[in-house]
Amino acid sequence: MRTTGTTMLLGISAGGLLTAMISTNSSLSTWNSPLIASWFAHGTGAVVAWILLMLRFRTLRPLKVDPVAKKPPKWSYLGGIPGAMTVLLAAIAVNSPLQLSGTLALVLMGQILFGLMADLRGWFGVIKCRFSVLDLYSVSLILGGSALLIYAR
Amino acid sequence: MLTYILISLINGVCINLSRSLNGRLAMDRNAFYASLWNHIIGFIFLSVILVVQGQQMTPFHFSAPWYSYLGGAMGALFVAINSYILPRTGSTQAAMLIISGQMISGVMIDHLSHPYSNLGIQSVAVLLIITGVWFSKISAAKRLNNR
Repeated sequence: MRTTGTTMLLGISAGGLLTAMISTNSSLSTWNSPLIASWFAHGTGAVVAWILLMLRFRTLRPLKVDPVAKKPPKWSYLGGIPGAMTVLLAAIAVNSPLQLSGTLALVLMGQILFGLMADLRGWFGVIKCRFSVLDLYSVSLILGGSALLIYAR
Repeated sequence: MLTYILISLINGVCINLSRSLNGRLAMDRNAFYASLWNHIIGFIFLSVILVVQGQQMTPFHFSAPWYSYLGGAMGALFVAINSYILPRTGSTQAAMLIISGQMISGVMIDHLSHPYSNLGIQSVAVLLIITGVWFSKISAAKRLNNR
């Protein structure tokens, strides 16, 4: 893998940004509903993403530097659908006997299980890779720490 | 109960599926382009659901303080960063890094609002997460050397 320190820092900061986004959206949803708040966030997010695209930043360049510009597959445009689905699914599960902590822990599990499958099989253009013992330790430590935080609330 | 367990697991799968699709789009196009399409498609999808559910919107629904409306802008930047890193790190590592960032920033926010509650457990948990990220970094460096 070509993972550099900068890429890792970007990933961790993205997590911080996600915390801020989730707390902001949940604050909005107390005035209407999780669905309406997410709908509004998607609308304003589209406008902001369009402005960012128009600014033509030189950062965040595509990975493939093909001399011939390749068209991405049509299905790769559909990321917004499973993304929006998560709002609906979370709303159902949080009000269940699982409560917030159980829901969060299972959502983490689902993410990791999908990630492992995608990396082992090379789905969605990611480089097919095997996992070392170190990777196993890493996943266990991060999941263990997260579980501790979720259940210590 | 089993239904709820499955729903939560599928929720996690949806999160990573969405990020992987966006990452795939960003391989051939710009990361901001992937973010734009993610938000357009998601907006259309949620609009359809709101219409089907017949949800009414009144001015009261949009009388929250101004900063509550900034989530969309944060999301636009988040999807762009994720789409940039995912093809470089792979699905699992991208998810681990984002989860680590979420957990650590969550603890920081907790301490701003309720100082010194659960400080011991939270410090241990953060230490575990940071060690995990460090292991992941060593593993990535090793693979780079083996090439």
